[in-house]
Amino acid sequence: MSESEMTLGAGQATAFEPSPYGVQSKKLTMWLFIASDAVTFGAILFGYAYLRAGTPDWPTPFQFSPSIVNGLIMTLVLLTSSLTMLAAVAAAKQGSKSSALLWISATIVLGIIFATLHLREWFHMFAEGWSLSKNPLGGTVMFGATFFSITGLHLMHVISGVIALIVIAIGYNTEWLDAGHVETTGLYWHFVDLVWMFVFPLLYLMNVAR
Amino acid sequence: MTDTKNAPGMKEYIAIWVGLLCIVGIETFLTTMHISTHRLLAALLVLAFVEAGIALLFFMHLKYERPRLFWTLVPLVIFVLFMMNHIWPDAYRMLNMRVPIQ
Repeated sequence: MSESEMTLGAGQATAFEPSPYGVQSKKLTMWLFIASDAVTFGAILFGYAYLRAGTPDWPTPFQFSPSIVNGLIMTLVLLTSSLTMLAAVAAAKQGSKSSALLWISATIVLGIIFATLHLREWFHMFAEGWSLSKNPLGGTVMFGATFFSITGLHLMHVISGVIALIVIAIGYNTEWLDAGHVETTGLYWHFVDLVWMFVFPLLYLMNVAR
Repeated sequence: MTDTKNAPGMKEYIAIWVGLLCIVGIETFLTTMHISTHRLLAALLVLAFVEAGIALLFFMHLKYERPRLFWTLVPLVIFVLFMMNHIWPDAYRMLNMRVPIQ
C-alpha cells in the first residue's frame, strides 16, 4: 500500500498535516509572497542605488516645500492606515463585524488619499518637464526613470491593496470571508507601508536639493 | 497559532505608531543638516531598517508567531539582499571609467 493510500484510508482529518508554522495556509502563502516581494523591491532599490552611485550628474531636485512636505504627509497617511488596519484586524478577531468594517473602510480611505497625493505629485512633476526619459534640469534622465518606476511600482501595490481591502470588506460583511482573511490582507497592507519606509528616505530625502 | 495573549493592544500600537513617526522626523531632520551624502545614506538606511523591523515584529505580528516562521523568512531575505551588494564595484567602476562629460 502506498503512503498516500495509507494516509487517505485513515480518514480526511489525517490527509493534511498540521502546518509546521502553526498558521493557516493562506497566511503562510501571504508571508512567502511578502518575502518574494521584499527581495523584488530590494533588487529595484539596489538598481537605483547602483545607477545613482555610477552617475556623476545625478540631480537632486526636491525642495523641502512642497516635495518633502508632501512626502511627509504621505508617510503620515500610510502609517495611520497601518494603525487603522491593526484596529480592523483586532475587531475582526473579537468578532465585532461592524467595528472591523469601519476600520477597514478607514484604511481604504487613507489608501485612496495616499494614492491621490502621489498622483498629484506625479502630475506636478510632469508639468515641470520630468518623465521616464526627460530631465528638465539637463542632467541624466535616469533620475526620472528610477523615480517613476519605483514609486509607480509602489503605487501599484497601494492601489492593488485598496482593491483587495474592498473585496475583503464585502466578503467579510457577507460572511463569505472570515477574520483570517482580514488578518492576511492586513499583512499585505503593512508590507506596503514597510516598503514606503525605504522608498521615502532613498528616493525623496536622498534627492533633496542642497 | 499567533500568541494573542501577549500580542500588543491598541494603546501599544499607538505608541509604536508615534515612535515610527518620530523616526521619520529624525530622518527628515538629518536631511536638513549639512552632512556628507555617504553619512546621510548610512544614517537613513539604519533608521529605515529599524522602522522596518518594528513594523515587521509588531504590526505584522512576526514576534508573536512561532520562531520557526521568523527563522524561515528573515535570514532568507537578508541573505538575498546581502548578496545584491556584489554590484558596488561595478557601480564605482562605471563612475570612474566613464568618458568625462564635455
